[in-house]
Amino acid sequence: MARAAELTGPEVRRLNRLSLPPALLLVPAGLFLVVFFLVPYLNMVRMSFLTKAPGAAFSHVLTVENYLRVLQDAFYWRVIARTFWLAGLTTLLTLVLGYPLAYTIARAAGPRRPLLLMLLLAPLLVGAVVRSYGWMIWLGRMGLINQALRALGWGEAELMYNTLGILIGLVHVYLPFMVLAIASSLEQIPADVELAARSLGASPWRAFWRVTWPLSLPGVFSGAMLVFVLALSAYVIPILLGGNNVLVMPMLIVQMLLDAFHWPLGSAMAMVLFGLASLVLWLYVKAMNRALRWIPR
Amino acid sequence: MRSTSYPVGFAAAAVAVYVFLLAPIAIVVVAAFNSGEYLRFPPEGFSLRWFSKFLASEPFVRSFWFSLKLASLATLLSTVAGGMAAFFVVRHAGRSRDFLRLLLVAPLQLPAILTGIALLIFFYSVGIGTRGMTGLLIGHTVVSLPYVFLMVSSVLLRFDRTLEEAARSLGASPWVTFRRVTLPLVQGGVISGALFAFITSFDQFPISLLLVSVGNTTLPIQLFDYLRFSFDPTAAAASTVSVALSVAVVWLIHRLVGLEQLTWGGPR
Repeated sequence: MARAAELTGPEVRRLNRLSLPPALLLVPAGLFLVVFFLVPYLNMVRMSFLTKAPGAAFSHVLTVENYLRVLQDAFYWRVIARTFWLAGLTTLLTLVLGYPLAYTIARAAGPRRPLLLMLLLAPLLVGAVVRSYGWMIWLGRMGLINQALRALGWGEAELMYNTLGILIGLVHVYLPFMVLAIASSLEQIPADVELAARSLGASPWRAFWRVTWPLSLPGVFSGAMLVFVLALSAYVIPILLGGNNVLVMPMLIVQMLLDAFHWPLGSAMAMVLFGLASLVLWLYVKAMNRALRWIPR
Repeated sequence: MRSTSYPVGFAAAAVAVYVFLLAPIAIVVVAAFNSGEYLRFPPEGFSLRWFSKFLASEPFVRSFWFSLKLASLATLLSTVAGGMAAFFVVRHAGRSRDFLRLLLVAPLQLPAILTGIALLIFFYSVGIGTRGMTGLLIGHTVVSLPYVFLMVSSVLLRFDRTLEEAARSLGASPWVTFRRVTLPLVQGGVISGALFAFITSFDQFPISLLLVSVGNTTLPIQLFDYLRFSFDPTAAAASTVSVALSVAVVWLIHRLVGLEQLTWGGPR
């Protein structure tokens, strides 16, 4: 053992390597994700090209029929359009509501900071079902807001089981993701940059618009992308807060798989939705890269 | 400068948004402890009757224990596999590092409902089906593993490796070095990752929706089914249990590694 003391860095590392090969560390997770993540996804792509068989979920006859059925049906296009519209609106609203919060968190110092983060993360960890239920208590026909409206003699408002209810729920669930993305970008801007603008005579708003806002755009763009994709695939909220009055694609896909038991068509619907989403994101990334080029670095 | 250059209105907006974020969660807790059938303003009085109704409801209690068991097992699997993978990717992966990181966090990038559909079809194709807990356990492990991987990697990236080299050069075996030096230094990250994996599994909805079977229902699914037909505050009591768990997890992570680690301290 005395010998070991004379070894230097690289030699110690070689000594470490004498035991089991480190690649073994990767085996459980790697194998698990390949078998139970990668393969199922590839299998789903294959499923979308198979045929529904009478009495069984599918038969091994290749076809593009499923895709044609989705793409040629105006009904599906209307639902797809609504799904994208809701996701886009959710993204915009989370940005408007999330920015001031992200700014406040990023600029907070001392013991206030962990508290602000905790208040943001605790809702993030509460499941979507529980949060939808909370909104039902506020927004329902017998809910607190309608009780207040009635007490004031202002009648009743339809606050849920419609698009408004879904939008409130979606914004609530995805807002923390937007805040975290923007805050992580704001974190990297030194406070001095804004201070410099201020000391040169810019008003707080001007310093913000001309300095901080452009520098935070990378966070805004990545947050928007994340929220958009998550909102596209939302299922619980449209059902609980939209009733069955507002159809979105994930609802139709799950129905097709679980109730109609038509796996090939359900898979094709999923592929169409996320194919279109990828197309939108690709165009978005291209546009954003062009926009970011104007930011001085 | 911190507060002086604040654009006017930001602080007020931030407070309003916090109120919006906490309102539905706070009201669930209030409804659970309120004695009335539905919440009025002002509340009618403090009562634990909804909790006793929750505890007396066989479907709720059974799904609660099932969720607890499922989340514990998924946490165990994802912590071991995800932690090991983090060690490999941070310390040993060469050129494959970026690819491996992409694979290991991919379940977070793709919508969980899509992953659930893919798994459902896959399980039936290979004959595992959705009877029993196996399918659910696999699905939950897939989506919680990335969190462990991210948390453990972020701790490992800040790890000072000369400490290990010092222990080794002083004669400690690799195993002793790992047990006495490495593990104590990374355990905060491992425990935080495990807690995050646990809550991800316990609150998991989309994956469970597709993979549950009769007799094996998780708490969120049970709650969802219940809410489609009734509003009564038994659901609020069940929800409060889940809120309490989330708050406990956030608090523990704050104490163990700091919340910043969870939000933007992670590897990019």
